[in-house]
Amino acid sequence: MHIPDGYLSPATCATMYGAAVPFWIVAGRRVKKVVRNRYVPLVAIGAAYAFLVMMFNVPIPDGTTAHAVGAVLIAVLLGPWAAVIAVSVALLIQALFFGDGGVLAFGANSFNMAIVMPLVGYVVYRAVARNMSLTSPRRAVAAGLGGYVGLNVAALFAAVEFGLQPELFTSANGTPLYAPFHLSQTIPTMALAHLTIAGGVEFVLTAGVVAYLQRANLPIMRINHRDVVDTDDELIPARPMGWRWAVVGLGVMAVLTPLGLLASGGAFGEDAPSDLDLHRYGLSSVPSGLRHYAGFWHNALFSGYGFSDDRHPVVGYLVSAAVGIIAIGLVVFAASVVVRSTRGRRNRIDLTTTAT
Amino acid sequence: MSSVAEHSAIAHHTTDELIVVENVSYSYLERFPALDDVSLTVRRGEKLALLGANGCGKSTLLKLLDGLVFPEAGRYHAFGTQVTEDNLEDEQFSRAFRSRIGFVFQNSDAQVFSPTVREEIAFGPLNMGMANDQIAQRVDDTLAMLDIADLADRAPFQLSGGQKKRVAIASVLVMNPEVLIFDEPTAALDPRTQQWLMELIVELNAAGKTIILATHDLSSLGQIADRCVVFSEEHRIVADGTPADIMADRQLLLSVNLIHDHSHVHLLEGPGGELQELTHSHDHLDGHHAHDHGGRQPL
Amino acid sequence: MTTTTPSWLIDSEIGLCPCGCIGKRKKANFVDKTIGGAASLMRRVMFADDTAAGAGLLQRIDARVKVLTLIGLLVATSLVRHVPVLAAIYLATLPIAAASRLSLSFFVKRVWLFIPIFTGIIVLPATFSFITHGHIVVPLGSWFGHRVGLTSQGLHSAALIITRVATSISLVVLLTLTTPWTKLLAALRSLRAPKMVVQVTGMAYRYLFHLLDSVSDMYVARKARTVGGATDVKQGRAFVGASAGALFGKAHALSDEVHAAMISRGYTGNAGTIDRFRLHARDAVWAGCCVGVAVAVLWWDHVIGR
Repeated sequence: MHIPDGYLSPATCATMYGAAVPFWIVAGRRVKKVVRNRYVPLVAIGAAYAFLVMMFNVPIPDGTTAHAVGAVLIAVLLGPWAAVIAVSVALLIQALFFGDGGVLAFGANSFNMAIVMPLVGYVVYRAVARNMSLTSPRRAVAAGLGGYVGLNVAALFAAVEFGLQPELFTSANGTPLYAPFHLSQTIPTMALAHLTIAGGVEFVLTAGVVAYLQRANLPIMRINHRDVVDTDDELIPARPMGWRWAVVGLGVMAVLTPLGLLASGGAFGEDAPSDLDLHRYGLSSVPSGLRHYAGFWHNALFSGYGFSDDRHPVVGYLVSAAVGIIAIGLVVFAASVVVRSTRGRRNRIDLTTTAT
Repeated sequence: MSSVAEHSAIAHHTTDELIVVENVSYSYLERFPALDDVSLTVRRGEKLALLGANGCGKSTLLKLLDGLVFPEAGRYHAFGTQVTEDNLEDEQFSRAFRSRIGFVFQNSDAQVFSPTVREEIAFGPLNMGMANDQIAQRVDDTLAMLDIADLADRAPFQLSGGQKKRVAIASVLVMNPEVLIFDEPTAALDPRTQQWLMELIVELNAAGKTIILATHDLSSLGQIADRCVVFSEEHRIVADGTPADIMADRQLLLSVNLIHDHSHVHLLEGPGGELQELTHSHDHLDGHHAHDHGGRQPL
Repeated sequence: MTTTTPSWLIDSEIGLCPCGCIGKRKKANFVDKTIGGAASLMRRVMFADDTAAGAGLLQRIDARVKVLTLIGLLVATSLVRHVPVLAAIYLATLPIAAASRLSLSFFVKRVWLFIPIFTGIIVLPATFSFITHGHIVVPLGSWFGHRVGLTSQGLHSAALIITRVATSISLVVLLTLTTPWTKLLAALRSLRAPKMVVQVTGMAYRYLFHLLDSVSDMYVARKARTVGGATDVKQGRAFVGASAGALFGKAHALSDEVHAAMISRGYTGNAGTIDRFRLHARDAVWAGCCVGVAVAVLWWDHVIGR
């Protein structure tokens, strides 16, 4: 995903540098605060490691190999802010000493691979691995997932950076001056490549290294996971989220139901026969089967989600949402009562049989 | 420091006893013991060798002497003042301490970390706050003394093992320490460089430097040490004497795993009257051997 | 303490089949590629060291001046909107390369082999009318009633991007191959780059090769153990995970040792430096030329028109 010089306009390059600088500053401060004067050797060797990780050839099923970026791996092992600096320095070495990846585009490359990728990937990793022990194999999967998501978000940013070029930087007669593909082309192309191959490779590398270290060198995992228990036996079971969260979630969804009114058309496939745009589908009349079954169910309590006179549609939606939630809630409650009573009866039968 | 501690510090310190270690114990990660109730005093001008098998604690003691690790029990005094983690936070004390003790690590790759040789040698003085032109002068002098002036602008990864060792020593000598600590100095060096190094150590000692080195290589002992301290595998000091005495005590050497059944240590008097060692090993078919010592008599 | 030797260690294994059927050539696998990658990295570094030590034009220019003029020319290159101007800048780099004792064939290959060609392939679809709309100059028939062909805008865009990429790479290569990396770092520091960043970068570059040796060792050992055909993909991936993991263990242990070595010589987190930069007349001349070229190029570009 290294962008060479020439694809991005100088304005874009400058913007990306500007976007990267605050993250670099924060990363520098955070890392210094945690490791103090160990900062230089730790981050420097982390950067050397990041550079080499990008060099590893990972075998993929069709017999060839591919490279991973490894930014999320470094974030998992050394922390997200240390990863920001380490990967940035690795990219700097690549650009300046080896001529891989642009010098003007260094800001953009850093932003995508050294800032967005490890930070996003790390958030995903921590969210997924919330209640896992340090040696749990699922933690390695969580790390791989973080790498996958991080890489794809980074690819999305890169695709946007590319895709904006022809929109913003075209000469008078329509010649794109920098990257020529539009957003509608760059996003699907880069997404396809990264959701499949590149993402898979990133997943494999990140999960593979974490799994190895869990087996072979657990103390090293401790560096960034000081408050995680070692084995599954030591796990404190997480408190299940209370019912209050469910109410909040439902409430938010109910409030958002009128959003659909913003769209001009109707939902696909839900039109009543009389509302069909026959010409659009190349039909001359409503199909007979459709007409026959359209009014099949006559026993609806309410006809539609709005009031009968179609006034105040937003209020109509909100009321419908409330009614629907209450109705479903009642049904679920009734079902749970039935289930509990049958289970209770079955338990009593078990007790009496074993007693004899 | 409490007045009792101060008093005993002053009582301990004579201008001659540079290093005073009292009953220190240390364990890695609070679990793996490395030093068990170790006491040691080193006088100015001594050439002290710490002997012991791998893992016996000698490297840890050296790190303790350089203020890189701190004891869990016991005390360590250097140049009359106690060395603690808190003390070393003070910039002035730290500068004074670190410029008076120099440590040459076993792994030269870890010690030579700067982009060029010249920058590496300048690193120490820069941290001491020396003036730039004084630093430049000293760096040039040290490069010349160790015969590496032509390597001055090379990068460490372009150097051979012996060259890296010279750079490592130069980077320590440039600060003109009173005490020089070497951790396994001859390990991984070719024979000619080993000889050069041993001669250098003797020369530095003659110039007034106190030398402390850790080694498990017995073959060069007579040359570079006038006192030996032996560690057992239980992380304690079990013997303290001259090389001749220690080498003669075969039972001791066997018990601390410094030699094995088939090895022999002969302490010979060389042509110039200096003690030389001959360590070798061979099979014993009948529990007894006799062989030519080249005309010299074993002691 | 005696060891009991297992019987299979004492027995002799079946040697090479005399009919020679073992050892067919196979596609390079991930082990070979990684070993090759490590080796090529070392070669590039050694080559760069050699050229940077040469007695050519750019080698004699002060590193700080080189960095600033390079960035200036890069920015100018990125602002230019016409292919002839870009081509002129590119062509101007060739005599400079020659004057700096860089073999021209190498210089051309280094710049063109890979990235500009790669760029051309990527940009090729953009020359088609359905990507870049405009005036069709190479008609390619019609598709569902729409005319399809290569547009002048598309072709122009492709030419622009290819020349721009080539010129940018040429400029950066001129800098990196004529400046020892230590001087480059010192120049960055002198130009007010954050001290920590420069120190971290220098140390990272230094230990890069040390760790690279570890990687090579692991992979060569693996190759020596590989008998028979290609490795199973799953096993291969497991090895990559294990080798990358082991490498991290080594890297971390190394950072601890380096830290101890730094502390031992008085490091407290702030390191001074001993930069020895001096400007000469030739640096001013070079800077003047570059500024002149940049201005001329931009003016010419402006004059050609929008």
